[in-house]
Amino acid sequence: MAYSFEQHKISGAIGADDQFWRALEDGTFQLSRCSSCRNWTWPAHFRCGKCGSWEFEWVTLEPKGNVFTYTRSRYAFDRVLERKDDVPYVTIVAEIPEAGNVRVMGVMKGDEAGLKIGARVKGSIEPPSPKTKNYPSIRWELDL
Amino acid sequence: MSKMRGAAAIVGIGQTPYYKRGTSPEPELKLAIRAITQAADDAGIDVRDIDGFVSYASERSDPAKLMPALGTRECSFASLVWFHGGGLPATLNIASQAIMTGQADIVAVYRSMAEGSNQRLRVIVAQDDTSSQYLVNGLDSPAQILALRAQRLMEYHGVPQSALYATVRASYYHASNNPNAYGRTVTMNDEVYEHARMISEPYRLFDCSRENDGAACILVVSAERAKDLKQKPAYILSAPMGTMEGGGALEENWRPYYATAGQTELAERLWRESGYGPKDVDVAQIYMNMNSMGIGAMIDHGFFAMEEAGAFCTFENLTAPSGKLPINTSGGDLGEGFIHGMGLIPEAVRQIRGASTNQVPGAKLSLVTGGPGDLMSSTALLGAAETL
Repeated sequence: MAYSFEQHKISGAIGADDQFWRALEDGTFQLSRCSSCRNWTWPAHFRCGKCGSWEFEWVTLEPKGNVFTYTRSRYAFDRVLERKDDVPYVTIVAEIPEAGNVRVMGVMKGDEAGLKIGARVKGSIEPPSPKTKNYPSIRWELDL
Repeated sequence: MSKMRGAAAIVGIGQTPYYKRGTSPEPELKLAIRAITQAADDAGIDVRDIDGFVSYASERSDPAKLMPALGTRECSFASLVWFHGGGLPATLNIASQAIMTGQADIVAVYRSMAEGSNQRLRVIVAQDDTSSQYLVNGLDSPAQILALRAQRLMEYHGVPQSALYATVRASYYHASNNPNAYGRTVTMNDEVYEHARMISEPYRLFDCSRENDGAACILVVSAERAKDLKQKPAYILSAPMGTMEGGGALEENWRPYYATAGQTELAERLWRESGYGPKDVDVAQIYMNMNSMGIGAMIDHGFFAMEEAGAFCTFENLTAPSGKLPINTSGGDLGEGFIHGMGLIPEAVRQIRGASTNQVPGAKLSLVTGGPGDLMSSTALLGAAETL
């Protein structure tokens, strides 16, 4: 099966996170961990800087975390114009305690009352759409 | 102290006017040529004798295109510093090294930008290296990404809005005295600031740098040669570049630092290499892509602690001539204009010369910090002859 994101590949950055997107498109939330020293490696990379291993395992996790920080975009920016009708929208950076507190970004879903640093969030997975540049995405929702 | 301390000096500055983005009457290559020739005239150097060229980030006016118009006799050294505005002061590091090792005698450090009809300045600045993790989640601009850091700095670490506003007010006050500042006519007060539209919370319009077309250049030569030229030299005392473990291309996963500028270790090296400390600095040009990041840079440089930001960052403390730490005395990235920060080095030099429109009397140590929160950054301390 051809994945949507693979046909709309965004270049730039490290580029070792294909499995993250593949898993999301398949409906699961996975993050990467070194197979040897089990250090959570996020963003995903090609070699573990802690122990030198080249092997990683992708671990399926329950998408649960805490708000590390966030911003409410109040302007339709050039390269994310697909979201212009959604302005203002909130993007959350969530810490994932089950994965060594690595931080994963996602657009907020649901009621914004109670949004603050430290608030608990749960994630839900959405299929690829033009708004997400034909990538699957994780959305964070307050879990009060 | 390092071997680089005082080995080279800035002896010429050249700047085109700042134009509203996308309205430059001339293409960026021509703007670069204007800035470089002006810097040569300012220094009393024949522009054909410039033999080194250094820039940073996505500069496109490369030496190969400049040489025929400058009449360059020989280009013996050319280099680009990696990443975005973080590379700004590091250009002085590269230029000093080229001179110290005999690779070049006269190095032009420059940046030129004129927005094409189809690409916004901020897109060019981002160099297409924004990862899918950002773009999929509605984050494109440095303003949004740095807003994430600002939210953390303000909500979690408690830096108050008043500190951000003080940097804005100081910048526009300085700009109002600078006839070359693009923002010189902007009225800035509580009401204007608070009612400006939100860009990406917590940033309001005036918390963000301008976007301008323009070019600027400074010339670097050896300390020995600097003595015989027209202008009072501004010696390069230290200009460290780098990123520590826990920083770099980590998509909001920086640790342990997140909300400041990622310049703590750079600043430690700066003080060690120069033999000076934050208390000795007379005036500072603080890179402000966004102002909270500049506050982060001042924290990282040891001017004040996180919890002191509100008390330190007041209009009185941040303005020339007599503030505790006058910053961005030309108006800086917020008030003067923004060509990827390149306006900051000429102003740092003018302070040493005593030629700023917001002069700090007797300024001898002049700091210029690089793009805060960049994947890799840098900082530099310039000094008058007495500081050597």
